Amino acid sequence: MTFPELLSSLSSHAIHGAPPCDLTVRPKSPEVVADVLAACSTDGLRVLIWGAGTHQGIGHRVDPDVVLSTERLDRIVDHRVDDLTLTVQAGVTVGSIASTLRPHGQMAVLPEEEKAATVGGVLAVGASGYGRLRMGPVRDHLLEVLVATGDGRLVRAGAKVVKHVQGYDLMRLSVGSLGSLGVVVEATLKLWPTPRASATVEVAMPPDAGRAFRPQAVLQTRDRTLVMLTGTAEEVEAQADALGGESERGLLWPDQPRPRDGEGLWSVRVPPTLVPEVVDRVPGEFVAQHGVGIVEAPMDGPTAAAMREWLEPLGGVVVLLGGHDALYADPGPWGSDPAALDLQRRIVARFDPDRVVNPGRPAGGI
Amino acid sequence: MSLEALAERLRPLLGDAAVLTHPVERHLYSKDAGLRRTEPGLVVLPTSTEEVAAVVRAAADLGVAVVPRGGGSGLTGGAVPSEPAVVVALTRMDEIHEIDAVGRTAWVGPGVINLDLSEVTRPLGLHFAPDPSSQSVCTIGGNVANNAGGPHCLAEGSTVAHILGVELVLPDGEVVVLGGAAPDLPGLDLRGVVVGSEGTLGVVTRVLVKLTPNPPDVRTLLMEFDEVRQAADTVSGIIGAGIVPDALELMDRKTLEVMEAFLHIGLPVDAAAVLLCETSGHPAAVAAEAALCEEVARRCGARAVQVAADEAERQVLWKARKAAFGAVAQMAPDFYLHDVVVPRTTLPEVLDEVYRIAERHDLHIMNVFHAGDGNLHPIMGFDLAEDGVRDAVMAAADELIAVTLSVGGALTGEHGIGTEKRDHLPKVFDEVSLDAQARLREAFDPEGRFNPEHVLPKGSRCADFGRPLPEGAWV
Repeated sequence: MTFPELLSSLSSHAIHGAPPCDLTVRPKSPEVVADVLAACSTDGLRVLIWGAGTHQGIGHRVDPDVVLSTERLDRIVDHRVDDLTLTVQAGVTVGSIASTLRPHGQMAVLPEEEKAATVGGVLAVGASGYGRLRMGPVRDHLLEVLVATGDGRLVRAGAKVVKHVQGYDLMRLSVGSLGSLGVVVEATLKLWPTPRASATVEVAMPPDAGRAFRPQAVLQTRDRTLVMLTGTAEEVEAQADALGGESERGLLWPDQPRPRDGEGLWSVRVPPTLVPEVVDRVPGEFVAQHGVGIVEAPMDGPTAAAMREWLEPLGGVVVLLGGHDALYADPGPWGSDPAALDLQRRIVARFDPDRVVNPGRPAGGI
Repeated sequence: MSLEALAERLRPLLGDAAVLTHPVERHLYSKDAGLRRTEPGLVVLPTSTEEVAAVVRAAADLGVAVVPRGGGSGLTGGAVPSEPAVVVALTRMDEIHEIDAVGRTAWVGPGVINLDLSEVTRPLGLHFAPDPSSQSVCTIGGNVANNAGGPHCLAEGSTVAHILGVELVLPDGEVVVLGGAAPDLPGLDLRGVVVGSEGTLGVVTRVLVKLTPNPPDVRTLLMEFDEVRQAADTVSGIIGAGIVPDALELMDRKTLEVMEAFLHIGLPVDAAAVLLCETSGHPAAVAAEAALCEEVARRCGARAVQVAADEAERQVLWKARKAAFGAVAQMAPDFYLHDVVVPRTTLPEVLDEVYRIAERHDLHIMNVFHAGDGNLHPIMGFDLAEDGVRDAVMAAADELIAVTLSVGGALTGEHGIGTEKRDHLPKVFDEVSLDAQARLREAFDPEGRFNPEHVLPKGSRCADFGRPLPEGAWV
């Protein structure tokens, strides 16, 4: 079975399971990751980076010579409880971070519903949680990174304090870079106290985000609209009462929509004011993040292509999260080339000159 | 010489009034709010992206260095040229182009004053969250260049969290738009890199900012302590209790004395320290959070907690905080404002050390800072007319950095590196990491003409840290 075939045979978005390649390396230290990449650069080998496999559907397909698994980079390096920082290796999962932090009444700003995903994977694809309406995207909570560059150097950037402007922001540059600079092998995250109370309130359509003051999320699905509230018990109760509607304790995140045969799962990203119009046009199930500008929806190729044609001139993008092979060829995972592609190439050439890590996978085929 | 040639070429494009060559006019642009001064060779005042691009292209043709400049309120020499350069002053590009009240964004010129933007958007119930103490004079472009902070960054994050996109003139004159109103655009996050790049990657000509809803309610508390350590414990205690207030600002006794002499507002000058604690949001949240903050403060030994009764009282308390830098003149004619970040838990020991350093060098010192972030701002007051005082100030600054780094802190929290901290960078990054920074810069500016000698120390890029060539390879 070829690698692309195997990927297709896995489920559409959350592709779990063993990494598929004849040669899989599982380095135990950042230094070994750098050594492996240096060697692969020398030999011109193509390396696919594998965390938990939950986001392997994103980007152009890679046909690797080597899979580099981060599963043994599984150490929680340092938790400075009172300073609200956590340093972890790339292979630590979102779920284990949550359970490490829970007894301390703390949380990291990571995708809430992706317990199996690794920190390295979340950062590489730039996946944020539903709470970003209130908390901001994952990239705003990354304080320091250690990156093994494509040509095998170990580069540190940032600092282990909650605020700094110490040199260029290589942290944000690595978030969503899909390995084009190298592999994030260690990361320091900014932590937050867990809100003292939370509630999920079902409100009438259409969603009116303006009625709640700075909610954690306003999510709409085909059936209902949910306002997620966090804060002190007094605030959550007062806000829930003001919204009316049915209220439950805790944050009850909706399930991700499931594609049917022939469909892929797409992330439609638009200026937030366009979300209601996108919702009107998606054909089936969806989860829309009001105020953020993301609608995740299963669509077939022609529908996604039409959506892209409509939205790209308005500043939106339609990105494939997972699906069968044909969708990667047409209409393709990314859409039009990103801004300043030449500049992006010049940057990548200085970190991974032989393009060994996830070659061709990022937007623009870098 | 090439600067004269550049001036000749730019006059017809920008108009004579926008090309400053007279020494007196140029002198006005020779300094920022820090200590260093150099005379810029040429100053231009463009009014549009096209004009900036024309300046940048002409400078590229003639091999002239380019230094972008905003309001000139930076503290690290970021807008002070290090070699003969054209200073591109962006203060005339101060138009608010477009406000989207529903989407809560605005496209603004880099010359828009920070506070002006929040004033303009106030009727829409919105504001621009970053609020450096210089906000009545600093520009959005300068905020972008330095990734500026301010008291409210504790809860809202630094400037970068509020910049959705930038229009940038690259060093070769190409105009690109990075980022946008839609989230997570594919490709590298170049917007994130441009923020905080201190004018070394290009000239920002338009900025797409995120606007934040004005809170329906706000409560401001002034907590008084007999020991600085009690104030520091309160900071940790509040956050440990699950609350991130909007702001947690510490002022020590020296600050209180100086401010009281300046403002006469009844500050508790006999306290060792006060904390200014602000919480905002839904009225129910504000009441509950303020009560909790007060409880923590009292548990940590606060001798009194005052609550601002109304907006006027609140403004007075904030004036005591934000006017601190202006009031230093009460203490000494010159001052040096520092900016370092330490892990919050080390604040008490670091503060003790700061006082010892000042004493050793016979400098006045006041501490007024973002305690919630561990972001210290010791202000050293002195008289430059005194012999040897500059050396003492610099020695004290170096010692402060040594203390900061010894507890695992960062060189700067919000003022930037500029030329002030440049030569300290090798203390926090090894050669390979510095080289990576230089590689990134080189991808934008291969000739190194944008704000040369700023941010990275000389020689950052000279080492070759690539993998060794295979044996027998032809070179």
